[in-house]
Amino acid sequence: MNCELAHERIVTAAYGELPDELAHELERHVAACPDCQKEREKVLALRVVADAHPVAEPSPNLIARARLRLDEMLDTLPPKRWYERLSERILNSFASLQAAPMAALLLALAGAGAGLLGGYEFALNRAAHAATTARSAVPVGAQIQSAPALPELANVAGISSIVRQPNSEIVAVSYNQLVPRHAEGPVDDPAIRQLLMLATEDAASPRVRNDSVALLAAECRTGHGCQPSGIREALMVALRYDRSPRVRQKALEGLEPYVADDVRVRDAVLEAVLSDSDPAIRTAAIGLLDPVDADTSVRQVLYSVSNSDQNSQIRNVSRQVLSRVPEIQ
Amino acid sequence: MGGASREDMSQGQERAQSRAHEMDLIREAQAGSRAAFDVLVRRYEHQVLRLALHLTGSEPDAEDIYQDAFLKAFRYIGNFRFECSFYTWVYRIVTNLCLDQLRRRKTRREDHAVVLDRGGDEIDVLASVSDNRSFSNPARELDRKLLGEKIQAALTKLTPRERMVFELKHYQGLRLRTIGEILNTTEETAKNTLFRATKKLRAQLAELR
Repeated sequence: MNCELAHERIVTAAYGELPDELAHELERHVAACPDCQKEREKVLALRVVADAHPVAEPSPNLIARARLRLDEMLDTLPPKRWYERLSERILNSFASLQAAPMAALLLALAGAGAGLLGGYEFALNRAAHAATTARSAVPVGAQIQSAPALPELANVAGISSIVRQPNSEIVAVSYNQLVPRHAEGPVDDPAIRQLLMLATEDAASPRVRNDSVALLAAECRTGHGCQPSGIREALMVALRYDRSPRVRQKALEGLEPYVADDVRVRDAVLEAVLSDSDPAIRTAAIGLLDPVDADTSVRQVLYSVSNSDQNSQIRNVSRQVLSRVPEIQ
Repeated sequence: MGGASREDMSQGQERAQSRAHEMDLIREAQAGSRAAFDVLVRRYEHQVLRLALHLTGSEPDAEDIYQDAFLKAFRYIGNFRFECSFYTWVYRIVTNLCLDQLRRRKTRREDHAVVLDRGGDEIDVLASVSDNRSFSNPARELDRKLLGEKIQAALTKLTPRERMVFELKHYQGLRLRTIGEILNTTEETAKNTLFRATKKLRAQLAELR
């Protein structure tokens, strides 16, 4: 053992971390080496001297203050959401896989392989299916077919356009599944109706929503059976939630025949009277309440609006309707 | 002999129970339980404050480190994977915060020779430590105070990492292996750092001998 190594070991030994076998070796060296004896004395002296800067115990005041502040800070933190905890768990699972890199690599490869294979098979099946149903005259980028069967509409990603042929009941709907598609058929065809109803909710374009709601509203006004297929519900949803006033206006028009008989429709119209952002729609909705047979909720809404609405025109219209209440059938 | 062995066994069982209880608390805290986290805070806050106070020499700084450390622990407890003890994990957070603080001080060249309280007033740390020796007297107390200040000044001359290793070894009494885990390094590196720290301190304090 040389002195340099001995000096290092003296420090380790002074802190009780030198293994016994090395400690014996060190003892033998130090016993025979005056320099190392001095070194050991210096290290031991430092240990004593360093204790003159003692570790102060934190005062109870400091602990209490720190606790209080921490509690306040923790109270301001929003609780973790379930998905944050889930992502932490997933990350932890992946991190634990780092301990077994081969297993992690194999698992990742197997997952990626299965994903690629599955995706490829799915795309192949879809392409084969599309090829069998497509007509011979296929425009570039789109496949035209007659109105598809309802189950096929399960994967519609969006409606891109709706066009009604002039002077005809036939509607052409362009929609997207894995590939752009095009379907044509009469408005009362269940599949076309389904597409139109999807368009009322999903279409990103207000124009498409407006077209679909206008067609469905026309169907309702002409008495082409709005209930079994859920068109009435779709119109009520459009009236309540659509961002476009034009779409809401169309939906309101489509619901007109049902205000007198369907309480749900009446409620939707009353909601429009109370809270629609467009005064024109509110006015039109008040107009629809005319034929209602002394419904107390209608009168309450009209009374409330006529007294306290900020819009004077709305107040006037509702007063006019209320003034005709005895005449209401 | 048999009695000692039974005592060891019962201590071992107690430790195992305490560890199991702590693991339950950690899992509850990971599931979002504030109450479980509070119990964990109470368990370690004293050690955290003691370390931060001794390293920074300032009550406000120690309090800030305490806040930051436990807020971080609360935020990231979901990432705790039971690969080390919770104690090591918490100490890792605290030592990192303390190292940041020491590095900032190094760049600002701030040398605190005394402990500061919340109001910025000086606290005589030595006075707060009881001295039961029979030769204790005012002159001696003054000497001890001056000596303590010199040691504190010598400690500030160490690099933040050397200071941290010396602190954890000498003042907190941790094993070199644990220090290595806390500082994300090896036991050997911690040992070498301790050696360098003692050498520098001896050079700084040579005049005292």
